[in-house]
Amino acid sequence: MKIKTIATSAAVAAMLAGPALSQAVPESDDTIKIMTGDWTSIGLQGEMMSLILQTVGYNTELVVADDSGRYPGFENGDLHISMETWQTTQLQNLEKSVATGKVLDMGETGLRGVEDWWYPLYMKERCPGLPAWEALKDCAEVFATADTTPNGRYVGGPVSWGDHDEQMVAALDLPFDIVHPGTDAAMFAELKSAYDREAPIVLWVWQPHWVTSVYEGEYVQFPQFELACFEDPAWGPNPDATYDCGKPYGWIKKMAWAGGEEKWPCAYEIVRNYQMDNDTMAALLVEVDLNGRSSTEVATEWLMANDATWKEWASCAM
Amino acid sequence: MTEALRDITPEAEAKPAADLVFECDGIWKVFGATGAEFTHAGGPDMDADALAARGWTAAVRDASFSIARGEVFVVMGLSGSGKSTMVRCMSRLIEPTQGSVLIEGEDLLAASDAELIQIRRRKMGMVFQHFALLPNRDVVGNVGFPLQVQGVPRAEREKRAREMISLVGLEGREDHFPDELSGGQQQRVGIARSLASDPAIWFLDEPFSALDPLIRADLQDELLRLQSQLSKTVVFITHDLDEAIKIADRIAIMDQGRIVQIGTPEDLILRPANEYVARFTNGVPRAKVVRAATIMRPVEGMDLTDALSVHPDDRIADVADILTKSEGVIAVKDSSGAVKGIIDRETFIQVLAGATL
Amino acid sequence: MRAGPLQSLRRADEIPHPAPKKAHARMASIDTVPRPKKSRPWTSPPAIALVGFTLLAWAALLGPAWMRVIPEAITFPVAQVVGDAINWFARDAKIGGVAFQEMTRGLATLFDYVIDATVVVLAEGLFTGRGLNVTQSVPPLSWLAIGGALVIMGYRFGGRNLALICAVSAGFLVFFGLWENAMVTLASVLVSVILAILLGLALGIWSYRSARIENVTRGVMNVMQTVPIFSYLVPTLLLFGYGPSAALVATVIYALPPMVHNTVLALKSVPTEITECGRMIGCKPRQLLWQVQLPAALGKLAVGMNQSIMMTLNMVIIASMIGAGGLGFDVLSALRKLDIGSGLEAGMGIVALAIILDRLSQAAAHRAAHGTHLKAGQRPLWQLLIAWLIFSTGLALLLTPLQAWPDAWVVSTASFWNAAVTWINREMFDLLEGIRNFALLQVMRPFNDFLGNAPWTLIIGAVAALGYALGGARLALYTTGLALFIVLTGYWGPAMSSVYLITISVSVAIAIGYPIGFWLSSRPRAQEPANFVLDTMQTLPTLVYLLPAVMLFRIGDVSAVIAVILYAIAPAVRYAMIGMAQVPHARLEAAEIAGCTRWQTLIWVRLPAALPTLLIGVNQTIMMAFSMLIIAALVGTKDLGQEVLIALNRSLVGEGIIAGLCVACLALIADGLLKAAAARASSDKKRTAE
Repeated sequence: MKIKTIATSAAVAAMLAGPALSQAVPESDDTIKIMTGDWTSIGLQGEMMSLILQTVGYNTELVVADDSGRYPGFENGDLHISMETWQTTQLQNLEKSVATGKVLDMGETGLRGVEDWWYPLYMKERCPGLPAWEALKDCAEVFATADTTPNGRYVGGPVSWGDHDEQMVAALDLPFDIVHPGTDAAMFAELKSAYDREAPIVLWVWQPHWVTSVYEGEYVQFPQFELACFEDPAWGPNPDATYDCGKPYGWIKKMAWAGGEEKWPCAYEIVRNYQMDNDTMAALLVEVDLNGRSSTEVATEWLMANDATWKEWASCAM
Repeated sequence: MTEALRDITPEAEAKPAADLVFECDGIWKVFGATGAEFTHAGGPDMDADALAARGWTAAVRDASFSIARGEVFVVMGLSGSGKSTMVRCMSRLIEPTQGSVLIEGEDLLAASDAELIQIRRRKMGMVFQHFALLPNRDVVGNVGFPLQVQGVPRAEREKRAREMISLVGLEGREDHFPDELSGGQQQRVGIARSLASDPAIWFLDEPFSALDPLIRADLQDELLRLQSQLSKTVVFITHDLDEAIKIADRIAIMDQGRIVQIGTPEDLILRPANEYVARFTNGVPRAKVVRAATIMRPVEGMDLTDALSVHPDDRIADVADILTKSEGVIAVKDSSGAVKGIIDRETFIQVLAGATL
Repeated sequence: MRAGPLQSLRRADEIPHPAPKKAHARMASIDTVPRPKKSRPWTSPPAIALVGFTLLAWAALLGPAWMRVIPEAITFPVAQVVGDAINWFARDAKIGGVAFQEMTRGLATLFDYVIDATVVVLAEGLFTGRGLNVTQSVPPLSWLAIGGALVIMGYRFGGRNLALICAVSAGFLVFFGLWENAMVTLASVLVSVILAILLGLALGIWSYRSARIENVTRGVMNVMQTVPIFSYLVPTLLLFGYGPSAALVATVIYALPPMVHNTVLALKSVPTEITECGRMIGCKPRQLLWQVQLPAALGKLAVGMNQSIMMTLNMVIIASMIGAGGLGFDVLSALRKLDIGSGLEAGMGIVALAIILDRLSQAAAHRAAHGTHLKAGQRPLWQLLIAWLIFSTGLALLLTPLQAWPDAWVVSTASFWNAAVTWINREMFDLLEGIRNFALLQVMRPFNDFLGNAPWTLIIGAVAALGYALGGARLALYTTGLALFIVLTGYWGPAMSSVYLITISVSVAIAIGYPIGFWLSSRPRAQEPANFVLDTMQTLPTLVYLLPAVMLFRIGDVSAVIAVILYAIAPAVRYAMIGMAQVPHARLEAAEIAGCTRWQTLIWVRLPAALPTLLIGVNQTIMMAFSMLIIAALVGTKDLGQEVLIALNRSLVGEGIIAGLCVACLALIADGLLKAAAARASSDKKRTAE
């Protein structure tokens, strides 16, 4: 993998060696540890940030951490920068962690995270009324398997992802059984299997993700999320229950270890400046996930093509 | 065996103390008990039931004996009789529970760990039943190992190892590994190794019982040959009475941890101490053990100049053809030619025929 | 306790064999050996156990409710306390004024340095510049150099056959474009293996010299072998930081037990005579150990080394999850995008590495244990290797494809496998779905419900009764204690779920594996290929067949069970073969003379003779199954494995450890009961033989 990178990056080295780098950077030779995780986009964005920071003179290292399990690492200073923190699942965790004073909210990336119940397009014929959520009530049996019948079968996320599907199914009175895989790979294995056979399936899909670029499908339209839905039973179709709405969607933020602000001020500024959008990211994810190229390669290519953009983010180092 | 050794007879046993290599007194080995526990519980006065009641097993009970320099002392018994344990007490491979072991007058049991290592390095060599060769070392490496442990420089120890290897007749196999040798050859390596540091005391623990009968006989002869050259003090364990008789000066017979009799092969056969020894020796052909001196009677003024003669130490079976050729009496003459006695033809035929005496 | 593939006897010591003759240590004559007393059936342990259990069952079913449902009052939230304690230990504990964490971080830096250095040499070379400006200044050793060196070593250690095996395995890695990542994996595997072997050797020697230490290490190692690695991953990460050194430490912990175990065993198995010989020669204790005992034990030490190597390779996937990179990462990323073919190829790359390491180390150990000399004109190996490295490096500088295999020349069969999986999915799904539904609805669900609803006191009573019947009061106490630990820590529900998964998987694995093993035992020619298949099944990362299982059998228990079966079937087959091979030939001849049919011979002669080994085989199969629980959890179970996984994902230190210990408890209960059963079976056999 690395060999390929070297071939491309060596060719470009001359091109990039333009402006003289600022004397002040790096402020510290200590390695900046950038978090990567078990989904592709954080790896890709982490790689990008790592390449930028290295190019301007910092030492960086990508380290793998768990989405929900990262916080002690950040509070401890074992991890320094994360390029993705999703409002959908990490909102409360991030707030709690920022409240300790040891972790910084580094602003939004510009990406919008979306996640909810999703079905392949061919299911629309078999369950007329989709994407409206009420349709699920009538055609639950279409989604049933022998072990769930008469209820439908919904493939949720791993238990540890901390969703509220159980509460939602109860609140909206959906005749569905929820199946939790232990890993996202298993979820998409089921999707692939069903899609190849045009078999019924409804599962949890998030964006940005390559699945939505490869398989045709759409999200079920649940009552749109508002914070009140989670907190106020009166809100939404079920007056007696919370969680009677779709999943939250929203920003994906960058976060960082507070102690790094003084150590690598310019690096932190670069992280704050970093911006991305969903379409660009989706295209890059297809390159990595489906065309089998390495994150390093794809990140390098994008940075080279968008030289001016990243150099503007890194102006403090130029 | 040398002539000198041949002269060791029961009468000659009371030698001056200076010539004793081993003096063992009241050795007990009780598995399961420490020395203090054993003494506290009654020590030597305990009988089998008392020991069993405490879950102890007495492998050696009250063994006392001494061994003279140059003597071949065979410890004989069936498996489980305690012979191995006793011999291991003599080198402290197993710590005796009670008793004393003096080697050349030095108290072995009082030696510190470091002293013990020195005593073993300088004075002891041992040959094992299953050879105990190190599989990762070639013949030279195995034979030279005792010297390597002592820190002898490589060139010197290899020279010595090669000497030992040729002594046991393994020239040309110096760089073979144990895997590549036959059982007999492996034991020759074991013998060479045990002699490498020229020890005074030579332990052999059933050295030939893992070998087939023909090889066993060869190696017994080899042992006798080596001993005639080297005159070590030999402590030899075996469960084979024929082997014991063939090589022993004296034999100690053990049963259930006790030494039931110590004596020359003749003693055991002619004067068994108890029923057990008698049963043991029953099947041994007398003629192979009994010496001319034993069955001769005094000379009664006969003229024996023309009579055929034998040596007093000759065994009857070995001189059978001389005896059968003779018409009348046979003279028994020692090396100087002095007549010691005569043997009647009838007497010797009786012995040959296996009569008890 | 995923363990020891590529080598047929995982715990050779556990196969019952006649007690070694101790010539002088056992002086007791036959008369003092206790004779089995005449059996009085109504006071025999099985009878007592049965009566006791019946009484308890009656009480549990009709008695007070607390006997059926665990009252909350008796469960203790120890996870929180344990978690706090570990967190304190990992963050704030100080030893002599230095924070413990600083020491471990220091160690981590050291390990990282060693791993990095190895990676530089084997896989990546040196770089100058950073970020986008990076250029390679010194290339790593070329595939030609390393591959050739492996072949040379193979030839020297094991002749033409081994050279060929090395060449084919290395060639596979090169042609399939896996070389560079294989070398990254090799670097971390080498460092872990060396560390595990040295540490295992040290602990083993220590245990050998002191019975008290041995008791402690044996207990700790038994638990370590059965606690899933995920449950101590979080503390490891806390102490050693994220990255390769944490992976290294976790791997070493995982691969250590068999080395310790086998070191003790190997030293104990050194013939008494050899040790005595060393002592008689006048060896000092250190000379005795290093020059006499260890060389003489080398053959058996090699078994431990082999197991450590295999367990390290089993960890490659998990290690890559926490930053070790290499082939494990290839497998993960291929599977994440559902490219099962590429995942399979990368997985086979791990198998190829395993084969090279296993066969080379075995041959080298064999050579060292038995001694060999250079033939006339042969140069020492190191001279040859250096000459080769210089020559091949020069060559690779001239011809770049010899340095790094060009991407354009890479072969791949991935699309074939992907198409095959898709085809099976399309054409056979309905059939498989039928099987799944039957298994799930008719067998698994009812059994799960039964276990879930059975009164807890009844199950503990059963465990105690079995323990008493098989091994007396001590064993009963031991197994009951372990079961109560699960009750008190509040993991009873998930634990029963684990028991259900294990029982189903092991039953199927035995039902399939034993007949195959019986069949193979009478066909020596089929054994070598069979062993290769079994080795592959155990070294190939489970994830590779877990995902196709999910595609065909959906998320849930059926897929989990299938993955467990596929992994646990190998020991079943192996022990069936070993058990059959142990049947005394004379008995088979006797049966033949008596005119037994093949079937009668199997039932009346072979099976009874092989029973102790077969029971140990069940035990090993169960242990393998337990080690797979955590992987099975990836497809969505509701058992202890899932609890550990959740704890890992949420960084819940205490919960992870406690749930992991509960897995260990279950495994140890099974282990204790089955070993006792095997011991009984083999003593029964002896008694009837006398």
